[in-house]
Amino acid sequence: MAESFRGMKIIGIILIIYAALVATHEGEFWPFSIYPMFSQAGNPWTRAMVLDVTDLPDEIIWQEHQLDQKIAPPVPLRSIGVDQIDYSNFISKTDEWTPTRLDALRQMLGPGNIQERSWMAAKVHGTLVGEDSVMVTIQPFLLITADSVYTNPNLPSAHYQKKVR
Amino acid sequence: MTWISSITRGLFEPERNTSPGELWFFKFFELFVVCYTIYYVWKWGWYTQLRNVEVVLPLGLANYLDVSLFFDHYLALINAAIITLLITLCFLRKGPKWLYMVVLVLFHLQHVIRFSQGEIPHSQHLIGMSVFCFAIGAWFFPSLKQMPRFVMGAIIFFIGLGYTSAFFSKLIGTGINWYDGRHLWLWISEKSIDILSREGVYSPNFLQQLALNSTSIASVILLIGWFTELIGFTMWWHKLRPYTTTLLIGMHFGITLTMNIRFDAFVIQLILVGFPWYLLIDNLVKSAPPWLQKII
Repeated sequence: MAESFRGMKIIGIILIIYAALVATHEGEFWPFSIYPMFSQAGNPWTRAMVLDVTDLPDEIIWQEHQLDQKIAPPVPLRSIGVDQIDYSNFISKTDEWTPTRLDALRQMLGPGNIQERSWMAAKVHGTLVGEDSVMVTIQPFLLITADSVYTNPNLPSAHYQKKVR
Repeated sequence: MTWISSITRGLFEPERNTSPGELWFFKFFELFVVCYTIYYVWKWGWYTQLRNVEVVLPLGLANYLDVSLFFDHYLALINAAIITLLITLCFLRKGPKWLYMVVLVLFHLQHVIRFSQGEIPHSQHLIGMSVFCFAIGAWFFPSLKQMPRFVMGAIIFFIGLGYTSAFFSKLIGTGINWYDGRHLWLWISEKSIDILSREGVYSPNFLQQLALNSTSIASVILLIGWFTELIGFTMWWHKLRPYTTTLLIGMHFGITLTMNIRFDAFVIQLILVGFPWYLLIDNLVKSAPPWLQKII
């Protein structure tokens, strides 16, 4: 039993270290965590998709629209070896879209995958509307070709300089 | 009996003698953890080498070290190779007692190198916590009887703590109305975008349709999951453990069905640590050979 109590003492010491590390690192110091997933319920969310807009006219590609009226097919990210979650966070959590960051996005998707096509990196916003529905809006954000990245001319420049939901 | 004594007995079962089945199971479990560790470090290493360009969100040690250094020159793959070598030595009990701790630090480093892209996934936490418990066990409890008891007891302690902690994170983060079914609608729609983006197509399954058609059903689904998290700590008592584990596994299947999030390593590990498999093995084997005892 003495060894078991020694085990508990060590677990107690680990708990103190655990608490100190997660408290000073916003709840995460892998593998220590407070497991905050899904802890903030009901908030609007933002994810991202890539739409293939190659065959669409320029006057349409920048228009914001609802998910059920999607104007272009999504590019399946698995098929080009990109982790969807990484991509989504890259789009939604970048505050400053510097030239380096824009180029990093193009490299992530891969000029070899894009080739002659035009891909739209779109933000997708979801929010509760009224008592009984969720509204999902697609916001075209960055147009990516094999060698360039263009910002949405309809959006204020603030959307590319600080985080905007 | 005080509560601390009760938890201690529940986790470490000091009155129970070591059996061959316990030793065989312990080594098998360690092999499982070693295999998953090797799988993760190479998977993360290759992804980093191919895809990571910039640090979006620094985690853990990445707050103090520029991990973008590891994005080139195959450094993430070299780290994976070193971890593979060291953890194999640890598994064979070669090298110093603190070697597992070195593995843990390098494993942490590999995690923060790979997941510097903005997402904080939790599906690998149990494997990471297991390596951590092996590191502490190998260092402070290296004997034949103590090592399996401490490692398994500590892992179970942190699993139970993690689930109950998740319950309180939700209570603090949102409040008592966390289980409002419309919150599940938002998550289902959010995850549906992830699936659509990943696969190019998405259609809701039967359970998702049920939840989306009724706030009450969606609320009941959330409430059952939330309650299951709350009682996660009851795993600390070995008599309750199989029942709690069964509920937790059911909860994970529920999350997979409603939100399309898979927890393969999590669920396999729950199945391994949540049930007294040693009793079954004791019926099949009558001894633990010397070579096995040497590597425990």
